[in-house]
Amino acid sequence: MSIAELLAVAITVLLVGAVASLALARWRRLAGWVSTAFVAAAAIAIWVVVLRAFSSPAEGEATVLVLPGLGARLSVVVDPLSAFFLAIVATIAVVATLYSVDYMTHFAGNTLAKFYPILLVFFAAIVGVLVVSDFLFFLVCWELMTLTSFFLVTFERENAASQRAGLKYFVITHAATLCMVVAALLLWRECGSFHFGDLLAALAQLLVTRPVLAHTVLGLLFIGFATKAGVLPMGDWLPDAHPVAPSGVSAALSGALVKMGIYGLVRFFCAVLPASAAAVGWGIAIALAGTASLFVGTLTALGQTDSKRLMAFHTIGQIGYICLGLGVGIACLRSAPTLGALAIMGALFHAANHACFKACLFLGAGAVLYRTGERDMNRLGGLAAAMPLTAGSSTVASLAIAGVPPLNGFASKWLIVATCLLAGMRQPLFLILGLVAMFISLATLASFLKVLGAVFLGEPNPERQVSEVPATMATAQIVLAALCVLLGVLPFWPLRFIREAVAASVPITVPSASELLGGPWGLSVAGGGVALAVWSPLALVGGMVVLALVAYGLQRAGGAGTREVAVWTCGEEHAAATVRYPASSFYLPFKHAFEGIYPRIRWRVPAFPAGVRRAFDVDSWAYQPVARLVERSAGAVSRSHVGVPQVYLLWIVVGAVAVVAIVLGLVG
Amino acid sequence: MLTWMLVLMVLLPALAAAVAAVVKGALARWVAATAAALVAVLAVWCCLASYGVSYRVALGDLPWLAGTLPAPVFGVLLDPVGCILLLVVTVIGFLTVLYSTRYLSTANRDHPEGPEAQGRYYFWLLLFLASMVGVAISPNFLQLFIFWEMTTVCSWALISYYGTPKSLAAGFKALVMTAAGGLFFLGAICVLFAKTGSFEFAALGQLPGHWRSAVFVMLMIAAWAKAAQVPFHTWLPDAMEAPTPISAYLHAAAMVKAGVYLMARSVISTSAVPPKVALLLGAMALLTMFIALSYYFIQDDLKRLLAYSTIANLGYVMLGVALGALGSVTALRGAMLHILCHGFGKATLFLCVGAVAYMTGSRSISALAGVARTMPLTATAFFIGVMAVAGVPPFGCFWSKFMIVAGAMRLPGAIGPVVVTLVLVESLISFAWLLHVAQKVFLGKTTPVACVNSDPPPAMSAVLIVLMLGCLVAPAIGIPLVQWIGR
Repeated sequence: MSIAELLAVAITVLLVGAVASLALARWRRLAGWVSTAFVAAAAIAIWVVVLRAFSSPAEGEATVLVLPGLGARLSVVVDPLSAFFLAIVATIAVVATLYSVDYMTHFAGNTLAKFYPILLVFFAAIVGVLVVSDFLFFLVCWELMTLTSFFLVTFERENAASQRAGLKYFVITHAATLCMVVAALLLWRECGSFHFGDLLAALAQLLVTRPVLAHTVLGLLFIGFATKAGVLPMGDWLPDAHPVAPSGVSAALSGALVKMGIYGLVRFFCAVLPASAAAVGWGIAIALAGTASLFVGTLTALGQTDSKRLMAFHTIGQIGYICLGLGVGIACLRSAPTLGALAIMGALFHAANHACFKACLFLGAGAVLYRTGERDMNRLGGLAAAMPLTAGSSTVASLAIAGVPPLNGFASKWLIVATCLLAGMRQPLFLILGLVAMFISLATLASFLKVLGAVFLGEPNPERQVSEVPATMATAQIVLAALCVLLGVLPFWPLRFIREAVAASVPITVPSASELLGGPWGLSVAGGGVALAVWSPLALVGGMVVLALVAYGLQRAGGAGTREVAVWTCGEEHAAATVRYPASSFYLPFKHAFEGIYPRIRWRVPAFPAGVRRAFDVDSWAYQPVARLVERSAGAVSRSHVGVPQVYLLWIVVGAVAVVAIVLGLVG
Repeated sequence: MLTWMLVLMVLLPALAAAVAAVVKGALARWVAATAAALVAVLAVWCCLASYGVSYRVALGDLPWLAGTLPAPVFGVLLDPVGCILLLVVTVIGFLTVLYSTRYLSTANRDHPEGPEAQGRYYFWLLLFLASMVGVAISPNFLQLFIFWEMTTVCSWALISYYGTPKSLAAGFKALVMTAAGGLFFLGAICVLFAKTGSFEFAALGQLPGHWRSAVFVMLMIAAWAKAAQVPFHTWLPDAMEAPTPISAYLHAAAMVKAGVYLMARSVISTSAVPPKVALLLGAMALLTMFIALSYYFIQDDLKRLLAYSTIANLGYVMLGVALGALGSVTALRGAMLHILCHGFGKATLFLCVGAVAYMTGSRSISALAGVARTMPLTATAFFIGVMAVAGVPPFGCFWSKFMIVAGAMRLPGAIGPVVVTLVLVESLISFAWLLHVAQKVFLGKTTPVACVNSDPPPAMSAVLIVLMLGCLVAPAIGIPLVQWIGR
């Protein structure tokens, strides 16, 4: 089968699954299992596509439908960049659906007829976004993705917060889409086609001939993609929408949906800019936007007490890292291909890693919500004993997002920060941005220590009987946590594929994988043939394992026992669980220091001035006077109807005389 | 064969109207539904039979004009432009009649309606269907005018159907405004005949310069009045006193489209529209869109909100036609497609509101909430209608709006991007407000008013399902069809 046929199979399977789950919606778990089966089948087809795209030379485009009047055609092509994101989406989709099987049994008041079918169409739309190569149909898939995710966010019908968040999400992202429509049309005006290749060629041309127009187009595209990715300030929808969605959906949103923004940025910005003179300017702009997001997003997350809202802010922060890497890459790719390519690869790697650990964290928060009904971390605590699997996988994911070696977050952040610092030798601004990113990594760690401390450690609430979540939910979390470890320990292998993706999407020849990354056992950042920075996770893990074995051996040899002690509270007297250190008390100095960093704006419906209203009220000054006039003249005419035949005869005579007089007057 | 089918499509509903007026009780609605179904089937068949060609046959003449005209006065014409209107009119017409058979009943909580007066309702509704088919297949201005005025009369009768003082006033207002517009239409025809000796659409091109502008302006005024464009937009919201199926059909899908159809016809038939007139048409369309938008936020009656949305969407069609007159075939095609897609989307919305009113007895945005709990099908249909009308892909109006803005983008210099930006801003705000209202009415905690048992009766639900599908597939039917326009 060709790639296009495989994709058709995958999308058909998803749509058939949507219909099947709609029919079975009454049986909650069954609908979940059926959906999972269909998603898994589609994911297998997609993974085959992914492997084919990386292994064999690129297959040509397959055109499904042509709209000659508009210069648009529905054509499908999978290059390594699409394939890379397809891999993320396929994985996250299976995990999120599997997780939902048991999770969604909880929403008794809401029928699942509005969950699984929409979820499956949502995945189909994302696949569509990644494989079409025509901007019109890209927009169709893109908005279908927004539309379906809107209904997933507003799943809880009676929850006013979900409705508000959903509306905000849809309106903001629809505005962003309209920006993309304008950008596409501006380019279409130049080249008469919506095909990606033609549009990019037109954009590259415009950058030379009409830079103002080209920068407008790029700006509009940036708004469009960055809004979806969650870059501040347009990403303001994200902290509202992610927490209110069912947790499986939160994971899919954070893991897959926001990555589509990154895909768009790479597809359009990395494909055109590095070869042009505007590369440095746009690179700095994107890097600055990313740094602002990671700074504001993460520091705002530090003060949150709602576990899912906290994670949503971290999504903004981590997307900031990705943008920082992309910006550095775009700025440096032409002058220093190795550095630039490594930065973009770091960014893409971070996208994949973020999908793993953030999805895992959302699923963990969802697991806690499922068992306790709480998202407020002030009222949680001590769950580690009752929910060891959830606690374990959340801990791994927390350390991964904070960039603790040897987990995957470290590998990608290391690439981003290292390239940033090295690029700082050419462009000092990047040095500052890299330092900010390093500092924020610390804030991320602090923030997740708070989550782990407040949710899983401390005294459990004695009134609450909590047990581990069902196997489906636990499996989903463990798979993601395992991926976090795997990608962290063996970063070379995913990065080899990512190199293909970067090579396929940038206009500059990218050095080979071994040249970029060194040997298969680690990573290195080279400058002028000299390795400037090296990271070798296997050696580190090996050393740690050896040390642990030695320590264990010493303990056994010495016959030392372990002892249980109370939590050390810095010597303070500690009383009941109700007065323990709550989540809202963490990092108060930070909260005060960065109080206004995330302002909230209240929107109101504009009130029109009275004069304008009156001017618009055409009835009062046009129709009603005319209607009154008609009525009055009708009254006047009716007065002549006196009901006396003689008077009517007189009128006839007078009229006849008048007519004769007029005719005579005209003729004579 | 095709000729007689076309004539039959006018005669059949007219005949059925007469029958429906005479027979008593439930029989009237079966006569009406059968006739409307037959017409819809015939219309689909005719569109398929004449696909992609312009089919034209002369049928008869006025004795005193015989021989003086280049072509006889009466005849039939079916081309892709007419097909679009014909499909909207007949398919949505049938669905409306089907919906009405259940809507007009004593079970209706909004307006309980016994079987006695229903003959009158179906008489006017079927007569309207006949005249609208006549509008769609008219080969010249004179015949078009005759059917045009017939639709005005039907509209008056149906708006005033309930006979309350408010509905009588609304009906009179609609009649005065559209008939005043009709006078301008008549004036345009007279000038055309005096100057060129012909009633043909193409005769517009033979007019000398300033007369052509004058005739176009007169036609434009007629179209504005019919399509409720600024400054004649005030009759349409008042016309919401009509029974809801009538609002859906006459005042969203069909009759108001006659106005934009007239402009489209005029523009398509002659390639020589004076540019200043086209610019005026486009500017007024933009103005209409924003004025209609400004009324959204103060509406509490769902139907009035939808009426203003209709006005704005007719503005889109006018804008597309104006852009077509300025030389953009894409925008002209988009405008015709918008007639089709908006017809389905807005009919869905209106009939949903009708279903809600039928079950709950209320159309008030502030009184209703959480209707989705008990009426999930209606809620789904309403959300799909909102997406379709607001232009969210993959639903109908996205495609038509996209084609219109694509045409606008081709305008020279900075005008193109500015117009596109304005249109998209309007689109975004109206989308946001409609979505907000949909959430307010259908989601959230159920209010006492909204505590009802179920979705509406099967006939009404079936209509909603078909319309939902229509919102999705309308572009698939319409895009190939409009490709034939302007070849």
